[in-house]
Amino acid sequence: MAPSRGTVVCVHGNPTWGYLWKNVLTTLSSQWRVIAVDQTGMGYSERGRPRRLGERIDDLVNFCRQEVSGNLVLAAHDWGGAVAVGAMGQLDVDALALSNTAVSKPEHVAVPPLIAFSRSLSSVVCQLTPGFVWGAAAMTNRQHRAALRAPYRGSRRRRAVRDFVADIPVRSSDPSFMSLVGVATVFDTSRVPTVLLWGGRDLVFHHRFLSDLRRRRPEARVERLENAAHLAPLDDAWAVRFEEWLNSDNSTSEASSPGASLLQPVIDRAGDESSVYVGPDGTVSWRELALRSARAAGALRSAKIRPGDRVAVLTPPSADLLVTAVAIWRCGAIPVVADASGGLRQLRRLLRASGCCAVVGTRRTLAANYVGRLTKAPVRFSMTQLDRGVPSNEEIASTSGSDVVAIVHTSGATGPAKAVRYTHDALVAQRSAVQGLVQLGDHEAFTTSFAAFVLLAPVLGVSCVRPDIDIDKPSTLGFDELLATTTLASVRAAWLSPAAAERLVATAQGRKLPVDRVLLAGAPISAELANAVSSVVSGEVLAPYGMTECLPITDGTSPTVVGPRGGTSTGRVLPGVQLRIAALLDDRDLTASGEWGEIWVAAPWMSDGYDGRDLSLAGSFVRVDGVRFHRTGDVGYLDGGLLFHLGRRAHVIATAHGAVASVEVEGPVAAALGRRVAAVAVGPIGAQLICVVVEGASLGVADVAMTDAVRHASARSIAAVVTSPLPVDHRHQSKIDRTRLSRSVSDFLAGR
Amino acid sequence: MTGATSLLGRHVARQLLARGDEVTCFQRHPSAVESAEVLGDIRDADQVAAVMKGHDAVIHLAALVAPQPRYDQAYAVNVTGTINVALAARSAGRMVYVSSPSVAFAHAPAVGVGALPPTYTGRDVYTRTKALAEIAALRSGVGATVVVRPHLVWGPGDTQLLGRVAERARAGRLVLPDGGRALVDTTYVSDAAASLVSALDRTGDDSTTWGQAYVVTGGEPRPLGELIRLFLAAMDINSSPRSWPAPLVKLLGGIVDRAWWGSEPPITSFAAQQLSMAHWFDQGETRRALRWAPSMGLEGGLAQLRSATRNGSATT
Repeated sequence: MAPSRGTVVCVHGNPTWGYLWKNVLTTLSSQWRVIAVDQTGMGYSERGRPRRLGERIDDLVNFCRQEVSGNLVLAAHDWGGAVAVGAMGQLDVDALALSNTAVSKPEHVAVPPLIAFSRSLSSVVCQLTPGFVWGAAAMTNRQHRAALRAPYRGSRRRRAVRDFVADIPVRSSDPSFMSLVGVATVFDTSRVPTVLLWGGRDLVFHHRFLSDLRRRRPEARVERLENAAHLAPLDDAWAVRFEEWLNSDNSTSEASSPGASLLQPVIDRAGDESSVYVGPDGTVSWRELALRSARAAGALRSAKIRPGDRVAVLTPPSADLLVTAVAIWRCGAIPVVADASGGLRQLRRLLRASGCCAVVGTRRTLAANYVGRLTKAPVRFSMTQLDRGVPSNEEIASTSGSDVVAIVHTSGATGPAKAVRYTHDALVAQRSAVQGLVQLGDHEAFTTSFAAFVLLAPVLGVSCVRPDIDIDKPSTLGFDELLATTTLASVRAAWLSPAAAERLVATAQGRKLPVDRVLLAGAPISAELANAVSSVVSGEVLAPYGMTECLPITDGTSPTVVGPRGGTSTGRVLPGVQLRIAALLDDRDLTASGEWGEIWVAAPWMSDGYDGRDLSLAGSFVRVDGVRFHRTGDVGYLDGGLLFHLGRRAHVIATAHGAVASVEVEGPVAAALGRRVAAVAVGPIGAQLICVVVEGASLGVADVAMTDAVRHASARSIAAVVTSPLPVDHRHQSKIDRTRLSRSVSDFLAGR
Repeated sequence: MTGATSLLGRHVARQLLARGDEVTCFQRHPSAVESAEVLGDIRDADQVAAVMKGHDAVIHLAALVAPQPRYDQAYAVNVTGTINVALAARSAGRMVYVSSPSVAFAHAPAVGVGALPPTYTGRDVYTRTKALAEIAALRSGVGATVVVRPHLVWGPGDTQLLGRVAERARAGRLVLPDGGRALVDTTYVSDAAASLVSALDRTGDDSTTWGQAYVVTGGEPRPLGELIRLFLAAMDINSSPRSWPAPLVKLLGGIVDRAWWGSEPPITSFAAQQLSMAHWFDQGETRRALRWAPSMGLEGGLAQLRSATRNGSATT
């Protein structure tokens, strides 16, 4: 088929050239006429005198007027973005695709260090030596590097590279400053359908630049390529996603008001006097929630909180937390739900990475925010200030399906704490998935030992009862506290961490908790614990598998079934979830074989990624055959339709005879001893030994009887049996940190 | 082969004879092996050259293993002797040199490492000369030389390791630093012997092993205290070792190093370090290259030791 749909003009940045659009040319050429220009003085184009931004814009406008008739699509990257957007103001453009670019320097964001450095030494870095060209080329795959460097051999051919860097306006006195201001204005006021195809690992134009563009054009479609770096258009997926977007019916995402659908229960029940939240701090009804959140939203709006802004929520689980979160959603802003259990330093790292422009909290947490400099947010609200707001007449702000609507911190129980991003569509999908698990009616309630789960109540349209405990210490939640919650509302479900479940069993004294179901989550649940909980609950016990990034994954049935390769059942995989068991060494698909490997999941309610720019997390989300999977870092296997969880991938022991999952060793030993045990690795990978650690008061070699009992119980060869206190996480008090334990045991057994 | 009077030497010679090899043993004193035997001293280059004539390969095991030898004596046997054997081996064409993992001891725990270079230059005379000897064996010998470093060889009839453990335990003088928490790997004697026989075959058919050193162990590390307990139980010795803090043992070792002039010191700083630090090795490369794997292991070896105890031949 001859190219018929129109012309795509691709504008590269500095110091690349038309080669950057190689994949776009091959992908789009069947339907589009694709032109990748070399900017004047760059690539293989003619060399001449230095050109300023305004002149480059004119060059592009003249080129397009001369060469293009019919539909015109502009695609641009890096500072080519400013050129293309500037040209857009004088051309009739049908669509715009931008990649890792900027139309202005966002406030409070430093000039990208590479550019700042190159500017200050522009002659040396950019022209006299090939440093800048090589540096840029190094940001992509090896295969492209030679081609990217080819037109810039010899310092005379690099003249324009230097001039380009020198022309980047930083201060208002710079010659091209006003040109760039004009570019930003064109972008802000344009109605041209726009897609931001963004490389997520870019250190030059990082996420703050993306945020700036999104703030200017909230309706622009955003496609993140999590694994692509600065030269994203050379990434294999870039052209594919570009084509998909061009082919989609409406090039912009529909700005209907699905934001309302997230808050549908709050809107529907605005007149309902029954309580949505009951806790030690008081009760709030659906009506009060609607009223107070409208007032608080008014307060936020009057402080210029706009859709897409991030608001740090430092409010502990309470009625105020519900009001705050709903108010932020009403504004179309993004609540960043903080978790302080990992310490202030970690909290500061996560909050600052999220770039919050306001912070909401209690007097105490706001003081902590001030003293600990947790955020740089210029706007601070206490609950009293929020309650003094005046409800505005504005509609509930519209958020579109792929917009981020919440950021939730993980506990850091498994690896570093992360800020997990959720889109609107994901939260709406999660609502029905969770509802399928808890199965609560409109006037029924759940109780929980997980702080953040309180927020599920207004989204699910059910009530939540917060037990009267310090929610940061789930192990203090016992039978009596849970029983007390059932007298306050029609509590039909309890969502408990393993530590809380253990305490429930220990304090039951022969009584049975009158709820329909207890859901256990937060760590691998042993069959013994599931059995014990069953005996103190009148309803069923479920142990669904899931994590902050994707919850839930399984239905949690049969938690007392021990699998043929060890581990306890987490139930059947929920409809809508795609599960993949990936081989540890080469990611081969083992799903059908029954072998164990890393668990990868994909679900409509999965997080869209991590916030911030932590490169170490870049591999946590991967695309396989067009499906985005979350690599959970857990290992497990499928057997008879049930998913069995074998612990963390980082805790797998790489022996000379193959990989051994810690849980597989621990199960039989713990059952034989009746004590908590952990299996840890000692030695270098590939030659690791299995050591069994039995919980004890201090670090030491186990006595003869215990050593013999452990060896007898295990089918594996155990190098040593030691006793040690077992380090557990702050939040759940149940996830054993086997990595840390492995270090201390290794040192002990080495004689260090 | 040289050094057939040792426990390991006897096992090697018998395994070679059992598979039909023609074996000549060369050492100072008569061995209990039923093979051709020439008595002599490896310090004498002419004797070594003479006995090597007509042989295809040599396994060089002989070494001076006295508790606290004089340096010149140890050097003469371990280094000069090895050079004599290596030079003479040029006529044979193939050599297996038996070294020790301690030649790479770096005053730090060995945790799952391979065969590191023989860099030991510490105070222990045996280890120091063995490190020099290993370098000498590879430098002066034939191309087809394989170095094998068996780690802590033990078995029934062992007067060295088990003999001393048993003697001290019976006298109630067995002390372990920190209760013997360090992970230590050992090699049962017939497994170690089999590895030497395999290495001998590799000198003939696998040039990728030539010039290489391989640590040989059973591949079943245990905390030292547990190993000693297993050994004592297998030898019917009802005594448990005492536990002293490792720094104290090391301190005593240091004092003994400088102040002891008797023949067999109770502890040296080298021994204190060896006993308080982990010693176990990655066996993947060894087993692949030598095409060998232990068949007896810890369990099998302990069973042999128990039956030897019943016959009264555990440490004689």
